[in-house]
Amino acid sequence: MRSFSFILKQFSRSVLLIAGFAFLVSSAHAQADAAKGEALFKANCTACHKIDQQLVGPALGPLLEKETDDKFLVKWIQNNQALIASKEPKAMDVYNKYNQAAMTVFSQLSEADVMNIITYVRTDWKASQSIPKPGTTGAPVSTGPSTLLVFSLIGIILLAFVIIIVLNKVTSTLERLLLKNKGLFVEEVVVAPSVDRVAQVKKLLKNKKFVFFILLVGTLALGSWTWESLWNTNVHTGYQPVQPIKYSHELHAGIMKIECQYCHSGAYKSKNASIPSLNICMNCHKVIDRGLNAKEPSVEIKKIYDALGYDPATQKYDTTKAHPIQWIRIHNLPDLAYFNHSQHTKVGNLKCQTCHGPIQEMKEVYQYSPLTMKWCIQCHKRTNVDFKGNAYYTNLEQVHKLLSENKKVTAAMMGGIECGKCHY
Amino acid sequence: MDSNKKYWKGLEELNQTPEFVEKNKHEFAEPIPIEDVLSGGGLAGRTPRRDFLKALGFGVGAVSLAACQKVPVHKSIPYLVKPEEVTPGIANYYSSTYEGSAILVKTREGRPIKIEGNPNDLLSKGGLSAQAQASVLDLYDINRLKGASKDGSDASWDSVDAFVKAELAAIKAAGKKIRLITSTVNSPSTLAVIADFIKQYPTAKHINYDAVSYTGIIQANSNSFGKAVLPHYNFDKADVIVSFGADFLGTWISPSEFIRQYVQNRNGKSLQNKKMSRHIQFETGLSVTGSNADVRLPIKPSEEGLALINLYNALAGVTLAGSKKLANANTDKAIALVAKELLAAKGKALVVAGSNDVATQVLVNAINSLLGSYGNTIDLDNPSLQYAGNDAEFVEFIHEMDRGEVDGVFFLNANPAYDYYNTNEFKNALKKVRLKVSFADHNDETASLCNVIAPNHYYLESWGDGNSLAGYYTVVQPTINPVYDTRQAEQSLLIWQDNPVKDYYTYVRNNWDKNLLAKGGLSGQKGWETLLQTGFVKETPKTAVDYKFSRDLNAVAQTILDHSNALSAGKIELQLFQTVALRDGKRSNNPWLQELPDPVSKVTWDNFAAISPADMKDWGLVDGDVVKLTANGYTVELPALSQPGQARNTISVAVGYGRTSAGPVGDGVGKNAYPFFSLRNGTFQTAAVAEYKKTGENSPLSQTQTHHSIEGRNSVIKEATFTEYVKNPAAGSGREEGHKNYNENNLFWQDYELDKKPYNWVMAIDLNACTGCGACVVACSAENNVPVVGKAEVGRRREMHWIRIDRYYSFNDDGKGGVTEESEIAKLDNLDNVKVVYQPMLCQHCEHAPCETVCPVLATVHSSEGLNHMAYNRCIGTRYCANNCPYKVRRFNWFNYWNDSRFDNYLNNEHTQLVLNPDVTTRFRGVMEKCSMCIQRIQAGKLKAKIEKRPLKDGDVKVACQQTCPANAIVFGNANDPKSEVSIALKSERTYYVLEELNVQPGVGYQVKVRNPFELEA
Repeated sequence: MRSFSFILKQFSRSVLLIAGFAFLVSSAHAQADAAKGEALFKANCTACHKIDQQLVGPALGPLLEKETDDKFLVKWIQNNQALIASKEPKAMDVYNKYNQAAMTVFSQLSEADVMNIITYVRTDWKASQSIPKPGTTGAPVSTGPSTLLVFSLIGIILLAFVIIIVLNKVTSTLERLLLKNKGLFVEEVVVAPSVDRVAQVKKLLKNKKFVFFILLVGTLALGSWTWESLWNTNVHTGYQPVQPIKYSHELHAGIMKIECQYCHSGAYKSKNASIPSLNICMNCHKVIDRGLNAKEPSVEIKKIYDALGYDPATQKYDTTKAHPIQWIRIHNLPDLAYFNHSQHTKVGNLKCQTCHGPIQEMKEVYQYSPLTMKWCIQCHKRTNVDFKGNAYYTNLEQVHKLLSENKKVTAAMMGGIECGKCHY
Repeated sequence: MDSNKKYWKGLEELNQTPEFVEKNKHEFAEPIPIEDVLSGGGLAGRTPRRDFLKALGFGVGAVSLAACQKVPVHKSIPYLVKPEEVTPGIANYYSSTYEGSAILVKTREGRPIKIEGNPNDLLSKGGLSAQAQASVLDLYDINRLKGASKDGSDASWDSVDAFVKAELAAIKAAGKKIRLITSTVNSPSTLAVIADFIKQYPTAKHINYDAVSYTGIIQANSNSFGKAVLPHYNFDKADVIVSFGADFLGTWISPSEFIRQYVQNRNGKSLQNKKMSRHIQFETGLSVTGSNADVRLPIKPSEEGLALINLYNALAGVTLAGSKKLANANTDKAIALVAKELLAAKGKALVVAGSNDVATQVLVNAINSLLGSYGNTIDLDNPSLQYAGNDAEFVEFIHEMDRGEVDGVFFLNANPAYDYYNTNEFKNALKKVRLKVSFADHNDETASLCNVIAPNHYYLESWGDGNSLAGYYTVVQPTINPVYDTRQAEQSLLIWQDNPVKDYYTYVRNNWDKNLLAKGGLSGQKGWETLLQTGFVKETPKTAVDYKFSRDLNAVAQTILDHSNALSAGKIELQLFQTVALRDGKRSNNPWLQELPDPVSKVTWDNFAAISPADMKDWGLVDGDVVKLTANGYTVELPALSQPGQARNTISVAVGYGRTSAGPVGDGVGKNAYPFFSLRNGTFQTAAVAEYKKTGENSPLSQTQTHHSIEGRNSVIKEATFTEYVKNPAAGSGREEGHKNYNENNLFWQDYELDKKPYNWVMAIDLNACTGCGACVVACSAENNVPVVGKAEVGRRREMHWIRIDRYYSFNDDGKGGVTEESEIAKLDNLDNVKVVYQPMLCQHCEHAPCETVCPVLATVHSSEGLNHMAYNRCIGTRYCANNCPYKVRRFNWFNYWNDSRFDNYLNNEHTQLVLNPDVTTRFRGVMEKCSMCIQRIQAGKLKAKIEKRPLKDGDVKVACQQTCPANAIVFGNANDPKSEVSIALKSERTYYVLEELNVQPGVGYQVKVRNPFELEA
């Protein structure tokens, strides 16, 4: 909820600015105070209503534009139940139109308060209508440099270089001609260096020490390169595939500070941390359909709706249109190694970041750790086991002995680097 | 009592045939032809330089190209909307029912991967048979029917419904008969649906038809006591058990339950109380039950009735008309002794017979009545409902069809076109029926003759219930969405009868709400939810009362004698039996069961003609020689197998084989023996007069019995008699004078000081409890993704089972005589009276492990918890470890069994691979594997304790073989916890370690086999 209110704050602040301008222009409802209305709106209405789109209740902007009977509106907002109970025809219409869903009664709001809210909604709606939509004005959103663009740029640069070289050549020839014509002969600077150079190289090649040195350096370089690349075969540190949804951990885990477990609920109880199912996304994204200051629903969030067959307008799910999202697995531990998240998080009290790196700063996730056996074993050898408060370890005599001698106990000392602990 | 007693696994080992000696030289029967390559053409041949360069160039090029491939991109696809109860990576357990036994189904991410016993199950208390363990694999059988069909082509359910309803209406209007043929239905809700169906179509009738039926017992009880029921036997209350051909530990009525009961009077606990039952078995072929008996006497089928008459005479002190002595003096003596034993144990005695003959069973009732068994060891008031087949009704149904009176027939879980003895008669009669509907989930022999197939859900996809025992009601709940477009048979029946309740789940709920929940003191929604958790409700059982037999037996005896005379008219008598793995053959398409070696014969993937070794010699046959068997006008060709313990001049053949429409795994495996059945006095008979003829062909059997020779180390098995045990509980263990320290001169082995570590995982196996049923083998396969290799590979000694049950024979004379002398061995008569010991053999997790010292790459190393770890991806396949293992428990992957078209019978498709346990790696070609003591379960148990912040308790970790064992013969746990069950078990005086003298310090302790025989000479 924290993130939700945060977004709303950001959103409403921007809306306020625009609304302020709009307010100066409009005069029809000038007697009511839109600023007060906004505060009231945020406090009372946002749980169910948005101005420009349907939430639990209908979108208020277009509704209030059409409905001008303010007296009715005030009555309805203050106590819709009473109106329904008295079978007021207009009220009954509204009630039936929205599936007989009951609206909260706001008897604590005075008539002026309600009018402030109505004014605010109308001005805000008008303001948002008057701002041209980016899509309608026809300016296409740039999706980054295309490959054609990159290649043509490189081509142009190359061409420029060629031209520069040619021009340089031409200038120097012309200069020389000019000097020649002027009679200022500067030819003596060139004393056939090319012949000498070849001889020098030949001489160097005959120098056994030099050749040996070169060969040694070459072999060492090649050898270390081979060594490195062999060690790193199938090690994919930094692997960062393009995912079907541009999901940002930086935004969710970093800025919004959502707990890792909220989505990766398996991490503390199962071997799989598990990628969240879409119903978890919908906990928030049923309400949040766009970025912080965006006017348009986010394309990425729409992918969630599409995958679920969800229509934000009707708020209905069509399971026939549902299809799973095929994420690309980044951390590929081979099948022959058994790894259990809960052992490390719940029992070992390790932070996610220990293995996954600064996940809260990653726009796109990449593989942080090498996931090699060496890496596993190093950690098992160096990390002290956290026994505190875990009765499991109370009857392990070996542990007590070591602890009483004030020695550290690592996972490796508990048998944590034996083959069968991970390979079975 | 000591190691000079000779144990052997097969006649080839006993006789040291040259072939066996040759094959047994090496751990791997077929060596890699490296010598040939090096000494023969390999080195002498010239490789031209150009060829060499070509090969080199191609090799380098191919390897570089192969190395160029990109790392595959792996997708990770989460749920759209995750069900609340599913957490990926964590198993869910659902209670359900398998054939009347409450079970737990383990599911991972919504798919069942293992069946486990419900520890509170009334029948087997958490034990499960091999069949139940294997049943999960059938869910993923790609040969199941994928939708309804009509007249051989696919049809929509709507069109099938319309057709069947119209036909039923027409049949009803015409007043023709409708028949529902099912194998025994004990589900209360299914029975209610059938009753509703009959209400709607009054000409309909429900007939229970069991391929192997117990009609004889039911009718005999109706005859003797006016109660047409299958009694509930209490083997746990019997001190003396006498069985005439009833294989109650293997296949008879409720084997898992009977194993549990039987072992209660024979396991370590009972022995400590100085109590052990005595079990005497009279039978033709050597069965699991016979092999566990204290005294076993081979008799021909024709002698069975006679022996019973003699026993009755001896017990009652009368002589029934026509009584005569048995041909075998030994058996006669035994009968007299048995009578004495039984009378001494009045009220605690039990006599059972496997025969399906009413007269025989009436006589057995008379005997049990004399012994006061009713109300004690036999319960007629809380009867078993596991079998209700009525042979005569089914035969009459065929006659009705033949007369054209039947116009509609429905087959539910019944396949008479395969398992009825006169299939031609059945098929011809069926042709005259207008509407033939099968609910089979495979296009089996009967379904292919039907015009409508409405495939049923598998039991793991169904709602339902079971009622295997009077007053015991279990629930069946689905654990997965239907895999194919199938529909539950009961649902189909509801639709076709226009029942106001359209949905079978609602029907089951209503039935439970109205009738069954109250029996367990439950009610309403909450009661139903409780039921789904516990899996069953039970009523307080009625008090079992005594029943007195009062009918005249002379006529009964005469019927028995007539039958006996008819059987002994020919030279050879044929006896039909079920194997423990395949039973009646309904699960033929299950590769786990096909590959499970038969407990006694150790044959896989086949049935055979079991003949006594003496007869084999007389008839000039060797193992695998194909003989033509003829009986009751039916002939099949089967390979012969010399079976020690087989009665002379008899042949035993297993039913359940020779399917033609079971699916690619079961089709053509063995030969169908059902046509050897015959109908006599209204019941199917399992014995017949037979003839055999040699064909001159030989078809080798894939028999695992001598694949792992003990190289004459007789100390692997230790046994004692009960008398000796009572005198000295350590008798036979080799530790009568205390424990010998073999570690004195140890220069070589590292000491791991396991007693100072938190855990030392060990196992105790009670040889006196193990009946050899093989459930552990299948449970292990399911838990550890053990591949199936098929008949040809088993023949090459390449079966992959991590746990095997070694079956050892020994002679009857207790090592006092000269059984070790050649002359005695030659006496084949001895082979009729072999004794059998079963020994589950798995990786012993030696502290001084010989495999570890020879591994050049440290792929197998020791853990601080006493386990012998195996890192598959480190293994390079030198196989040194297998060669150095004295227990021969390491198995080598010769192929990628899960991804090789040559092994089409198992995991070679994505669908069946769903059964794999995701916590265990599938092994690649070229690596060794072996029992890991279910290390995934140990780790999971520890993790659970850590998360819950509590110490690990004894019993938190149960290994798969231990969990399924109906006899509780296997105990696993932490030896460093002095109070753990395994520590207590290992402290027993009977404990010994196999090949202890090698100082490998195994982690698996065995407990001496104790027999309780009587001396025939006495």
